Amino acid sequence: MPLLDIKNLTLEIDTSFGWVKALDKVNLSVDTKEVRALVGESGSGKSLIVKSIIGALPERWKVTADRMNWKGKDLLSMSDNQRRAITRSEMSVVFQNPLSALDPSATLEEQIAETIPDNLLDKGWFWQRRAQRHSIAVAQLHKVGIRDHELCLKSYPHQLPEDVCQKFTIAMALASNPRLLIADNPTMGMEITTKIQILRLLSKLNKTRELSILFVSHDLLAISAMADSMTVLYCGQSVESGKMTQIRKRPLHPYTKALLDSAPSFRRDLPPKAALHCLEGTIPTLQHLPIGCRLGPRCPRAQKECVKMPDVRRIHDHHYACHFPLHRDKA
Amino acid sequence: MLVYLGRRLNLLVITLFILCAGSFALAFLFPGDPLTNLSGLANPDEQLRQQLMHKYALDQGFFASLWQYFQLIFAGDWGISMRSGSSVFEEVTRTLPASIELSVYAMVLSLFIGLPLGIFSGLSHRKALDRGILSFSLIGYSVPVFWLALLMILVFALKLGVLPMSDRVSLLYDVPLNTGFVLLDILQSDMEHREAALQNAFAHLILPTLSLTVFTCSLIVRLTRRSVINVMDSDYIKAAYAKGMSRSEVVWQHGLKNALIPIMPQLVMQFTLLMTNAMIVEVIFSWPGIGEWMIQAIYQRDFPSIRGGMLAVSVVVVSFTISMDVLLKLLYPLSKRQLHAQV
Amino acid sequence: MPKSSFYEEEPFPSPVRQTWNEFRRNHIALLGLWCLAFFVLLSIFGPILSPYSALEQNTDAILLPPAWEPNGSTPFLFGTDSLGRDLLTRVVNGCRITFGASLILVLVAMLIGCAIGAFAGMSRGIRASVINHLLDAIMAIPTLLLAIIVVAILGTGLVNSMWAIALALVPQFVHQTRDVTRREFQKEYVTAVRLDGAGNTRIFFFSILPNMIEMLVVQATMALSIAILDITALGFLNLGAQSPSPELGAMLSDALETAYIAPWSIALPGAAIFLMVLSINLVGDGLRTALRNRLTQ
Repeated sequence: MPLLDIKNLTLEIDTSFGWVKALDKVNLSVDTKEVRALVGESGSGKSLIVKSIIGALPERWKVTADRMNWKGKDLLSMSDNQRRAITRSEMSVVFQNPLSALDPSATLEEQIAETIPDNLLDKGWFWQRRAQRHSIAVAQLHKVGIRDHELCLKSYPHQLPEDVCQKFTIAMALASNPRLLIADNPTMGMEITTKIQILRLLSKLNKTRELSILFVSHDLLAISAMADSMTVLYCGQSVESGKMTQIRKRPLHPYTKALLDSAPSFRRDLPPKAALHCLEGTIPTLQHLPIGCRLGPRCPRAQKECVKMPDVRRIHDHHYACHFPLHRDKA
Repeated sequence: MLVYLGRRLNLLVITLFILCAGSFALAFLFPGDPLTNLSGLANPDEQLRQQLMHKYALDQGFFASLWQYFQLIFAGDWGISMRSGSSVFEEVTRTLPASIELSVYAMVLSLFIGLPLGIFSGLSHRKALDRGILSFSLIGYSVPVFWLALLMILVFALKLGVLPMSDRVSLLYDVPLNTGFVLLDILQSDMEHREAALQNAFAHLILPTLSLTVFTCSLIVRLTRRSVINVMDSDYIKAAYAKGMSRSEVVWQHGLKNALIPIMPQLVMQFTLLMTNAMIVEVIFSWPGIGEWMIQAIYQRDFPSIRGGMLAVSVVVVSFTISMDVLLKLLYPLSKRQLHAQV
Repeated sequence: MPKSSFYEEEPFPSPVRQTWNEFRRNHIALLGLWCLAFFVLLSIFGPILSPYSALEQNTDAILLPPAWEPNGSTPFLFGTDSLGRDLLTRVVNGCRITFGASLILVLVAMLIGCAIGAFAGMSRGIRASVINHLLDAIMAIPTLLLAIIVVAILGTGLVNSMWAIALALVPQFVHQTRDVTRREFQKEYVTAVRLDGAGNTRIFFFSILPNMIEMLVVQATMALSIAILDITALGFLNLGAQSPSPELGAMLSDALETAYIAPWSIALPGAAIFLMVLSINLVGDGLRTALRNRLTQ
C-alpha cells in the first residue's frame, strides 16, 4: 500500500474572473522508501499540490478528490486536529527559501525545540526536558552536517548563510521523525556546490532512514540523479508518471519528451551548433485555460480529439494521459 | 548596540540644541522688542535695558548670546510672564504635570482598548468582526477632537448633568499641591473627605480622557491591525502551520511577537499626537494644563510664556520619544530588517 | 498544427488603470469618492447656489432651529445662529473655505516638501547628514504645535494659519520623499539611466518621480485630512480664521455660548467637518488598499 495516495485531485480557485480549476484530476502516489520527483514548469501547480497535502489552502477554495489517503486513511474527511497530528508527526515540509520560512525574531534553538514532539522525551522537570530537547537538536544538526552547533543554535536566521539555513530547515523537518519529507524546491537559487550538498544529504537520508521524499522541482538534472520515480505535471494536470529509468528511456507523452529534450545533457546525439529543441508558446494563464488536455494548443501531435480530457492508461506501472502517445503513430 | 545608543543620544542632544536655538530665535521673530520677549519686562527704562543687554549678552554677538541663553535656560531662568508677573519656569512646572496626567491616562486607556481590538481585527481579516472594528476605527479617526468634546459636554454635562465639564476637581475640595498629578495628590494627602474628593476628581477626568481616547484608540487599532495582517500573511507563519502547530500556538508564539514589536516606535509617536490634541481639549474643558496656558498666552500676546511653553512641550515630546526608542531597543534587540506597519 | 495563436490579446492595463480597477471594486471607497466629489462641487458652486449671503444678518430670525424641528421654518433650512445668519449658507461657505484652503495648503506643502526631499535624498555626505538631523528634529514636534507657534509669530487670520499648517506638513513630505528617493537611487535602473548620461535632475523627474506618484497621492490624502482637522482646530481656537468669517471651526467657537439652547449650531458645522474628513479617509484607505493589491498580485 503506498504511503501517500492521491487520485483525481481537483482544486478550484476563485479568481476575479470566476472559478478556475487550478489542479485538474491530478494523480500522485509515494511509496515507502521512494524518492518521487514532481516535475513541472513554474505555474503548473506544484506548490498547490504540496499545500493541499499538508492542508494549508485557504478555506474558500474547493478541494475534491476520489482518493487522498495517507497510509490508508482519508485526509480530506479527517478533522483538523487529526490532520494536524499527522502533519506534525509523520509528514514534514522543507520550503523553498529558508530565510522566509524561519521566524526572524526567534533564535534557531527555539524554533527547532518547537518541532520536537513530546513523546520523544522522557518524563522529568521542565529544565530536564529542555536539556533533552537541546541534545536532540544537536544530534539532528550533526546528522545534516552542521558541525558548529553552538553558533548555529544561538543565532537568528538572518545571521547565517543560506545553505546552513536550508540544512537547518531539513534538520527541523527531521526532528519529528517523519515518514515523508516533502521538499518544495529546496535548492532554488542556490549555487551549484550548495545544491549538490543538499541533494546528497537528501539522498543519504532516504537510504539510511527509510524516509520517503516527495521532491518538487523543475530542475531536471538534479532530479534525474536522485529520484526513483517521477510525475510530470503540466498546467495542473498530471500527464505522465512512472519509474525514472523508464521515462528517460522511453517517454510516452509529448510534453515529457519536450522536457527531456530541452535539457541538452539528456540527448547524446545532438549535432554541434544545432538548434535547441523546445515547445512553442508558454504555459497558459489562468484566464485562458484550454479545455480537455491543456497541452493541446502547444502540442505538435494534437488533433481534434484533444479537446476531450484523455483517460489515464498504463503500461506496467508507467501511467500516461494522452490520446496520441509517442509509442503509437500519429493517426 | 552601543553605536545605536550613541546615535540616539546624539540625536537627542542635537534636537534639544536645535529646539533651544529655535526658542531663542523666536524672541527675535515675535513682534516687539526682543528684550521684552526674552525677559518679560515691558518697556524697560534705560538702566534696566543695559542690565538686560548684559544679562542676555546681546551686545556680544550672536553665538555669545546664544550660549548665554543656554546657560540661563539650564539655570531655570526662562523670563517672566507678562500676564501674571511670575516666573515662566514656575508656571510651566505648575501646569505641565496636569497635561502629562491627562495625556498619560488617555494613552494608557487607548493602548488598553486599542491593542486587543487591533489584534482581534487583524486575526479575523475580511470577516465580519474585522469589518466592524475597521469601520468604527475609521469613524473615530475622522471625528474632530474638539467637536467630540463639545458634543460630550452637551450630552453628558448639560443635558444629562451626569459629569462635570470643567476644571480638575470641584472647588469644594482643597487639594494640596504636591506632585501636580491630581489623583496622586489626593491619595498622598490626609485631607478629610478623601474618598469624595477622589471620586470627584475621577468624574472630572472622564470626559476629557474619553474625548482624547477615541482618536488615539482608532489610530492604534489601525496600526496594530495592519501589522498583524502583514505578519499573518508572511511565509514563516505558513511554515509554522505546516509544522503542524495549531492556530493559537502560532499566534501566541510567533505572530504576536513579530507583529507588535516593530510597531512600538510608531505607537510611541501617537503620544506626541495625543499631547497636541490634549492642548485643544484642555481649552474646551478649562483643564489647567500647559496647552490652555499657552493658548491664553497667545491670545494675550505674552511672548515669553509662548516661548517657554513651546520649549517645554517640545522638550518633553522629544525626550519621551527618543528615550522610549532607546528603551525598546534595549529590551528587544532584533534584526534591522523589520516590517514597517503603516496606518 | 497551424501557427496562429489561440489566445486572445490579453489586455495589460497601465499601473494607474490597474489601481483604478482595484479601487473601483471597493464599494465603500467609491462611496467616499462620490462624497469627496460632492464636496469639491460644493466648494466651487456653493456660494452661487446658497440662498442667502454668508454674512447677512436677519435680526428677526435669531436662533431658529432647523426646518425639521417643530419651531423651524423652511426658508432657513438649517436654522440660524445667534446673529440671525442662515446656517445652511454659512455651512456651505464654510465648507468652501475649509476645503479649499486645505487643498491649497496641501499642494503648497507637497511642492515644497518634495523639492527639499528630492534634494536631501540625492545628496551625500555632510549636506545630507545636516538635513537629516534637522528633519528628524523638526519631525519630533507635532504639527499643531508647529502651527500654533507660526501663528503666534505671524499673527492670526486665515492666510497665516494656512501658511502655518503648510509649513508644519512639509516635514512629512520631505521625510517620505527623501526615503523613497534614497531607496530608488540604489536600484539598478537608475544606474542604467545614469550610465546613459543622465544628470540628477533628469533622473529625478523621469525615473524616480513616476514611481513616487502613487505614494505621493496617498500621502497627500492623509495630509489633507490632517490639514482640515488642523485648520478647523485653529479656527476654533480663534487663531485662524476670525469671525464673522464662516469658516467651520470659527463657527463652532461662535456657537459655544448658545450651545445649550441651540445645539444644532454645534452639531451641523461639526458634522460637515466630520463628513469631509471621513470621505477623504475613505478615499485614502481605498487607494492604499488598491495599491497594495496591485503590487502583490
